This record gives sequence, C-alpha cells and structure tokens, in this order.
Amino acid sequence: MIDRVLTAFNEAIFDTDRERALRVIREAEQEGIPPEDIVFKVVVPSIHIMMKSTSERRTPSIAQHFVAAQIASEVTETMVSRFARSPEIIGRVVIGTSVGDMHGLGKRIVSGCLKALMIEVIDLGLNVPAERFVDEAVAQNADVIGVSSMMVHTARGPSAALGVRKILKDRALERRIKLAVGGAPYRFDHDLYRTVGADAWAEDGIIAGTVISALIKEARQ
Amino acid sequence: MITSMERLRAAVNGTPADRIPVFCNLLDQGAKELGLDLESYYTSGEHVAEAQLRMLRKYGHDNVWSLFYVGKEAELLGCKQILFASEGPPNVLDFVIRTLEDIDALEVPERLEEHPAFTEQTRCFEILRHEIGGTVPICSYISSSMTIPAMLMGMERWLELLLLGPVEKRDLLIAKCHEFFVREVQACRAAGADIIVYANPFGSTDFVPMNIFTSLSLPWIIRDIQAIGPAGVVYYCGMARMNDVIATVREQTGLGAYYVSPLDDLAEAKQMIGTQGLTCGVINDIRLIEWTPDEIRQEVKRMMATGMPGGHFLFGTGVMPYCIPEANIRTMLDAAYEYGQWLH
Repeated sequence: MIDRVLTAFNEAIFDTDRERALRVIREAEQEGIPPEDIVFKVVVPSIHIMMKSTSERRTPSIAQHFVAAQIASEVTETMVSRFARSPEIIGRVVIGTSVGDMHGLGKRIVSGCLKALMIEVIDLGLNVPAERFVDEAVAQNADVIGVSSMMVHTARGPSAALGVRKILKDRALERRIKLAVGGAPYRFDHDLYRTVGADAWAEDGIIAGTVISALIKEARQ
Repeated sequence: MITSMERLRAAVNGTPADRIPVFCNLLDQGAKELGLDLESYYTSGEHVAEAQLRMLRKYGHDNVWSLFYVGKEAELLGCKQILFASEGPPNVLDFVIRTLEDIDALEVPERLEEHPAFTEQTRCFEILRHEIGGTVPICSYISSSMTIPAMLMGMERWLELLLLGPVEKRDLLIAKCHEFFVREVQACRAAGADIIVYANPFGSTDFVPMNIFTSLSLPWIIRDIQAIGPAGVVYYCGMARMNDVIATVREQTGLGAYYVSPLDDLAEAKQMIGTQGLTCGVINDIRLIEWTPDEIRQEVKRMMATGMPGGHFLFGTGVMPYCIPEANIRTMLDAAYEYGQWLH
C-alpha cells in the first residue's frame, strides 16, 4: 500500500500539483498509515527520487523542486506533531543569502528539503553579512552554514562565503562548522566553491539535502 | 567597410560578410570605463551612452546597450529602492507587491517615455542614435510578461503565486505585466532600439516543467510576441537552457533568433534553428574570470567550429560579470574576430 501512496505522491509533485499531493497524504492517513511512515516512507523517499532524477540528468525544473520542497516541509511539520515520539534531529543548519543578494528562492527550496530530512533549519533571511552567519551558527550550535548567492559578485565577494571562511578560520571553528554554498554562479563554474573557500556546493536545492547531510556527519565526527 | 549592422543582417540572411557578428554585453563595466562608482554611473543616460560608445571603440564588437540594469523595469512600475553594489548589478530592494491586494492596485504607466525612470534611458538612446544609429545595433533588454512579476514581488513569492495560486490574481498580474511589456517595447523601439532581447526564464524547462511551459508560459509567449511582432526580437531565457522548446517557440511565434544557453548543446541548437533563423552561441562568461588565454581561445574556437558551418550564426556573451579581467575580454574578442572570419 505504501508503494502506491509513494507513487501517487511523487507523480503529483512532478506535476507541481500541490492539491493532489496533499490529497494523497490525507487519503493515506485515512487508510491508517501512521504519520511516521508518511514522513519516512513517502516524503523522504520522494525527495530521494527527485535527487536521483537530477543525478540521472532527467533534471527536474526549479518549479518542481520548489513544489517538492514546499510540500515536503508542510507535510513533515504536520506529521511530526503527531509522531508517537519526537523524531531525532540529525543536525542543524543556518542558512541565508549572501550580502547584497535579495534572491531567496534557492534558500527556500533547500530549507524545505532539509526539514523533511530531519535537519533543523535556522533561516537568517536575505542580505546576510558573514559575521552574522558565524555568530548565529555558534549561538545555535549549528553544524553547517549554507550561503546562497544568485549573482557572481555576491558569490565571490569578500563578505560572502569567503568572509565566512575567514571568520571560521580566525575563530578556530573550521572543524566544528562546515560551509556549503549554492546558486546560479556555481552551476556555471563547478570549481567556484573552492575559490570561495566552501567545503561543498550543491547544484540545486534538492541535491543540497545530500550535500548538507554529508557535511553534518563530517562536522560531528 | 562593412558596418556591424550589415554584418548582423548578413548573418540573419545568410549572405556574405567579412566575419560573423560578435555581441559583447558590457554593462556595469561602463562605470569602470568612466571612473565612477556604479550608483553614480547609473544616474545618467549620458554616462551610459558615453561608456557604451567608449567600450565599442575600445573593443570593436558589434552591439551597444540601452539597458541600465534590469531593476529599471521595477522602477517604472513603482519600485522606490534599488540596492547598488560596488562590483555587480543592482538588486531590487523594495518590492512593489507585498500583498495580493497590491496586484489589484498595480498601475501600468500610460506613457512610459514620460515616466521619470525612463527619462535618462531616452537620453541614452538619443546619444547612441546620433553617434552610431543605423550602423551598430542598439539592443534593449525587455523582460517577458511572466518574468516582470519576479521583480515586483521577489522570485520566491512569484513562483508560489504562479504554481499554487490564487489563479485569478496570478492571471491578473501577468495581464498587467503584459500591458507593461508591450508599452516598454513600443517606447524602446520609438527611442531607437534595433533589437529587443526578450528575456524569459519561464520560457525554459530548467525553470518550469514542460506541462507548465505548454499550458502557461507558451500562451503568454505567443501573446507577447504577437503584440510586438517577431522582427528584431531575440529569444533569451536568462542563461537557462532552451533547446527543448526552440522548435515549439519557432513554430508558434515565428521568432527567428535564439540566444542559447552555454549549458545547451550548441550543435543541437544550430541543427534545430538551421538556416531559417539566427543561432546565437553564448560563451560561459563566468569562466572568463579565471580561464587562461589558451583556454579562452580554445573555447571560442570550439564554439565557432560548431556554430559557423552553414552561416546564420552569431557569437555572444551573457551579461558579463564585472570582475572579468580586461585582458580576458580582449583575448575572447580577438579570438572571436579571428576564428569568426569567413574565408572567401
């Protein structure tokens, strides 16, 4: 039965049909599927299927990523409140766009996806200075800082990821806090993440789930 | 001596010329050229025109821009605050649409040419037309009906409205933006634009899946292009890929020129567009920041070898990042002039 639900949910997400996706979840609940299974056997696998599609170059569009992340986040939030026991959070991320960058779409896709993967997200919003990324990461005991940039100058600027790296280094936090980046410029230059001092980059918001999960493991080793 | 305009016409028509046209999109670099910061630079149409002309003389490429920065369109629709950077394009800071009710209240200016935010652009056009009118193509960048809302409410909230509704508000907003789009094209053409770069990320399946492209993007593309006519219009998806949709767009709109993404397969694009239109091969200009001269020359050579056979080809750049070293711009252009020659 759960496979049928997963297929129906996944098809709705690929069609960017939010209403249909939510209807599939409601019906699954009515059929007695526990909230834990809805999250871990439907929502999370659907994200993995989308990641696999991306890596196989069937490349879902930004709109599909957006809807997938939005619904995954919504459903997870509702279901978690009905779990028999609180789920274990696997890590914590602070995320935002770099200084001068007012493009929040990528960050929102990443956040939705991470929440469904049981990663706590502290969203610092748009136009975030390097110091604030690090200060909040320390204050929130985060494992990863995620810096999203949609323009070349906001990706490469000294107050963006480069600035975060410098502060992490100066405060001897590099082992404890990892740095991930994403956004359009990185898609056109796959080595740019190294230039800006990041530990990793993600091609899109859904892949970011895998990348950040791996960084959390690294930070917690 | 052949002019840039004649070179462009030759590429469109497939007639003889010395070389293919080379479009180099230098915008923010104009400030550096005049020794100004970007905010001061963009306050004046004279600055922009003067810098475009200086860069044309310096580099010898085949186009100039009337474009200041893309957020100008938001200013024409009521945006009051632009965030200027020291080394890159300005961002819209103040979103005109904050609530769904703001969509009802949005007013499209009747006569754009009289709008204060258009005045300096008019001055820029006047100077460009006077200095190089008819000999070098003057390009205007106009966002599509479906793209303008992203500047009015932010891409994040626009995508939410576009995909999740309410549908009547979404359609009302696109309809108002269509009205604005048509007026903006008319105003730019009247001022002297030779080429309209029709910018539409929503016309790419990197942005929306094919079902949404077909049901929503395409009908608005058809309406946009029918309203302005396809002559002199270039299809551009903001560096997103377009090969999946070229055949459909061409069939449905009659558009002939396609500014393909560096992420597209150029050979495939050229094969689809063929001799019926103009394939604009676009270099990955983000890599120009760090490529060596040899890497730049090899890439230009590869693109020319792919795009030039059979003619109907233009070499172009994206919106060149400010931090590309001047030497790399020169290397790219020298290679384009060398490998882009037609040997008669």
